[in-house]
Amino acid sequence: MVRSTNKKDQSPQSRLHALGVARLNLIGKYSEQLMDSYVKGHFDETSINELALDKLVKARLLHRPDENQPLSLRPDVNSLIASLTEDERKRQINADVAGQLEQIRTRVKHFSDAQYRGDYAASEHHFQLLTEKVHDMTGQFSDAIASLWNRLNSDFGFVSNLGEKIRENELAQKQLRRLLDGFELIDFNELIELAQSSGPLRKLLVSQLQVTISDSSSSLLEVQKRLVELMARFRQQQERALLITNMAAFLKQHPNFEVGDYPNRSNVPEHVNHAAPIIANASVALDKIGDQQVLGDIVRSLDIVSSSYVEPLESHGEFDLEQLLAIEEKHQQLKEDVESFFIDVFDQTGSVSALDYLVNKQLEWDGEMWLFQVIAEHEGLAYQLRQRFDLVKDKSSESEFNHVEVIHDVQLAVNM
Amino acid sequence: MIEHGPLLETLLAGASICEVTDAEAFRRLNDEVVREELNHFLRPLNRRLAQSQDGSVFFLAYQELNTQAREHLSKEFKQTVQSLLPLLEWMQLVQESMGREGSLSAGDHIKFQEFALRTEDNQSLRQRFSQLASDRFFKSNSDNLDQQLKQVFKRLKETGYLHQPHKDRQFYTVTGKIEQLIEMVRFIKDEESLPLDEMPAQESMF
Repeated sequence: MVRSTNKKDQSPQSRLHALGVARLNLIGKYSEQLMDSYVKGHFDETSINELALDKLVKARLLHRPDENQPLSLRPDVNSLIASLTEDERKRQINADVAGQLEQIRTRVKHFSDAQYRGDYAASEHHFQLLTEKVHDMTGQFSDAIASLWNRLNSDFGFVSNLGEKIRENELAQKQLRRLLDGFELIDFNELIELAQSSGPLRKLLVSQLQVTISDSSSSLLEVQKRLVELMARFRQQQERALLITNMAAFLKQHPNFEVGDYPNRSNVPEHVNHAAPIIANASVALDKIGDQQVLGDIVRSLDIVSSSYVEPLESHGEFDLEQLLAIEEKHQQLKEDVESFFIDVFDQTGSVSALDYLVNKQLEWDGEMWLFQVIAEHEGLAYQLRQRFDLVKDKSSESEFNHVEVIHDVQLAVNM
Repeated sequence: MIEHGPLLETLLAGASICEVTDAEAFRRLNDEVVREELNHFLRPLNRRLAQSQDGSVFFLAYQELNTQAREHLSKEFKQTVQSLLPLLEWMQLVQESMGREGSLSAGDHIKFQEFALRTEDNQSLRQRFSQLASDRFFKSNSDNLDQQLKQVFKRLKETGYLHQPHKDRQFYTVTGKIEQLIEMVRFIKDEESLPLDEMPAQESMF
């Protein structure tokens, strides 16, 4: 900034600066369209005018990979956006350590030459470039590691199914191995020799780099361990999902499939050995003097209504508790529905047919069961309450020869 | 021993104990001393503590397999085998409707409303679910989807595959029993040498 505003000269540096600013501005100006292109994979050429389009191509932001292909972002721009947005689908890992080392070696030679010549300005310039190069390289390592961690911590959430996750995990493991291989290419003995007696060079190439590489390696080894663990989990999930699908398909194709009689084998497999439930029951006992006070208090506090006697749960050895509870629950529901019917009658004028009610309310009870419960409920009412309802049975004789009568329906009305 | 009273009672009543159903009891059962104490008590009842292969579920097994025990095991095993298909299909349905990548496993959460909405919105899921609900394991005889859903979840809760942490909230957690079910599937596959691994090729033909 300082250089370009203060001096109006046309030095290569200031020209570079101006060009860079202009092109970065282009990115800002067309950020919407560029991002659209990043997402869609090609640039919508109708979204901006031809002049602007030309500018973007000249600025090396867009290119046409092939004559027949639509314009798209240059790979560098693509990876810049991927890195800025931490978009793991597209983020690249640059593991070309050998190439970078080659550049570092060249720069060290430039620097040493300049120093040897006593060209202070040139040597400073080369040292700056060298520092940048080294930081570029280590920066790429830490970016790559961050990207790997990111993918790991999100459980590869950027792809949707297990198969894709497994492939992404494989890819990450390969990238990781390449990075580790790259680290091995860095030969510190060679770097020490390159640095010779120069203090700053030694610091940059040896001590700093060594710390970074050893940190990165341990981080990578941890990532590797976790990736392998995650892979095992993915594979396990895959195996499990497959087992479920295949077993379900098999059972559907073989509806009469018979399994072995495991419970009667001499060696009963552990999977099959599930004991029947036992209910630990207890009753009121009066044989302990100390308890009588407590029991007496309980009895006094009870609100005993003779009509609502509930049979206590008893354990007759082994029985199907679940079934019993299910029946109990069903019966309770029936009772509640019948009670609702009685309450409903209050809102009606005249008598209501129990079966009509059953149909109207879309209740699922069997008609016979329903009538039986309605009659039972009516008879179970306390005398005064019963007086308030009129219950008329629609019935007919089954035959002349006996006294069997069939109840077809029950009419219930409120006795005002 | 007295402090294990409620736990013993639960186990005796036929419950499976896992991290989801009762974390505290599960932690206690992981202590070998406690297990020995309980086993000592259970011996006269011809019961012993047993554990699923992956160690995620505790339940009671018979100590000695006498005729009576075998009779019960036969009955129960038959029920388990009959419940395999409906349960596996249910697992697949949940996985598909909720867009999960892996199959259901212990500790997974299911929100009733979310599942209901997704099933309702998708004609094919809805149809498959209705068919499943009428299976004799789930025993729904209603044509109404809402009733079917309620019945299916009720049955899963009754049979111990789902745990409902809050009584008034329609939010369920899958229990360790589902792992037992998978172990059972794997066991049957191996024991009966079912050619399940060749199944996908067959399926893709249709």
